[in-house]
Order: sequence, then structure tokens, then C-alpha cells
Amino acid sequence: MAAPLAGLATRADARDYGSAGEVLAEIDRLEADLDARLASLADRFPAATSLARSLRGDHERHRRSRAVLRRRLRLGEAAPVAMPAGSASVDALRALAQDLVHAYAEGLPAIKDAQAVDTLARHMVDDARHLAVLQMWMETEEPGA
Amino acid sequence: MPESRRAFMLATARAAGVTGPILGLLAGTEAPARTEANDLEILSAALLLEHHAIALYGHGLKRSLFPPGLRAYATEFRGDHQGHRDTQIAIMEERGAAAPVPRDDYDFGHAPAGDDFVRLALEIEIAAQRAYTGLISRIRTDDYLLSAAFILVDEVRHMTVWQRVLGLKIY
Repeated sequence: MAAPLAGLATRADARDYGSAGEVLAEIDRLEADLDARLASLADRFPAATSLARSLRGDHERHRRSRAVLRRRLRLGEAAPVAMPAGSASVDALRALAQDLVHAYAEGLPAIKDAQAVDTLARHMVDDARHLAVLQMWMETEEPGA
Repeated sequence: MPESRRAFMLATARAAGVTGPILGLLAGTEAPARTEANDLEILSAALLLEHHAIALYGHGLKRSLFPPGLRAYATEFRGDHQGHRDTQIAIMEERGAAAPVPRDDYDFGHAPAGDDFVRLALEIEIAAQRAYTGLISRIRTDDYLLSAAFILVDEVRHMTVWQRVLGLKIY
């Protein structure tokens, strides 16, 4: 990827995606992992139910939209994603949400389709908002730790 | 985008100094092709919004218009905008283009203090977020698209923090 990116919150180990299919597969994987952990958090902490429901609702909408994109880009159906049983601490959720946002940001240049970039950028905005919510939650308390 | 939101974004963009075809793109009345020249137009418009945000935060910090408990956020966000500005200036200069300078007639003289000033900061963050979201699919070059994506993530964080501070819905 070409310079300059100094001063931005890009990662030194930023991933260079090779295709739209690779980007969407990584988004599928991270989103499914995040959803599973959100469900686990909500099971243990009823106060997190509303947050988990809202974020998972956004993800469900994103999945439907990505399915349309896959058909338009002739990428085939999304592969089934294994549900890992990872930690559901707020910090683990925040880290995963950050990875998901980075996958969108680092993946956009590999999409090569203006309409798909527009759609995925709007999904990224939702996920960046989720990340900010989790960051603020961490700054105040961590009930799931 | 609802008409009221579009009008608000256009008013903020105009206040920042954005003109020409990019204003038409933000208004939804023009769909410029994805070209190097239009990348530079987008960069110029984004830079003007960053200059405007830096000036607003600078004014608020200098005059102590942010509530005392929120100065750290304001300082952090101003720093982010300065980073966005510097990155986009570097991209423009790398391409041999002249970057726009800040306006010399920002008018924050009647800006209120306290939560009302936070609302002003929120408005510029919302405008920046909507502008980058609206423009990002028109970017042709990979390096600028990547930069714009990370800038957009920052703008969303700023917007979400101010919304929470003001008791607005964030999820």
C-alpha cells in the first residue's frame, strides 16, 4: 500500500487484502465471533441485553446487505463461520470490534467497485460507532471482565 | 439521506469553504467520475472541513468554552483533526497539488459555552462524517481510500462521544 499514512491510526501490520471475497470472508468471521460474544455477555449481564440486541441487529442487516453484494459481485455464497467460544469481557469485545473496523477500513481498497465501497463504508460507520460505545464502556467500568 | 440532513451538511460544508462539483456531489446533484482530478477535489473539500474543525476546537479550547471535564476529549479530537489535515496535505503535495489553506474569516465570535459549544463540535463532526461517507466511494486511489477510511472511523468516534455527552442515543 502506498504512503503516506503517517499520523493516522493505521496499524503497522495493516493487512493488504487481495480480493473482495477475502475482505467479505474476514468481515463474516469477525462479525460472527463478535455476535457470539455479545450474546454470551448479554446472558451473563442483563444490563448489556439492549446493547447486544442493537449491535447484533445492525450486523444482521449488514449480513443481508453483504449477501446482495456477493451476488452482484459474483462471489458466491458466504461460507459457514465457526462460532468460537472466546472471552466475553468488554475488553475482548472492544478488541474484536476494533479488528472488525480495521478489516473494513483495510479492505475497502480491495473492493474495486464504487457501489460496494459505498455500502461497506456505511456498515463500517455503524461498526465504528459500536467500537466507540465499547471504548466508552471500558473507560467507565468493565462488568464483563 | 433526508433533506434536512443534507441541507445541514451542505451548510456546514459551505461554511468550511467547500464549493464546486464536490458540493454538488454532497448535494446528490452531481456524480463526478472516479478520476485523479476528482480525488484532488475530494481531498481539497475534506481538508477544508478539517481546517474548520481544527479552528472550532482551537477556539473552544482557547476560550475555555468546553465544559472542564471534556477538555481532554476536545484536545484529543483536535489532535486527530490535525493528523487528518497533515496526512491529506501530504497526499496532495505528493501528487503535485497545492493544498487549500484555512479560511481567514471563521466566525465563532458568538459561540456559546458549555453544552451548547459541545453541540457545535458535534455538528461539525456529523458533517465531516457524512461528507467522508458520501465521498469515499468516489475515491480512485488506494492510498487515499485507505486514509479516508481510517479518518472516517475517527470522525465516528468523535461524533459518538459528543452524542453520549449530550445524552443522545448512541445505539
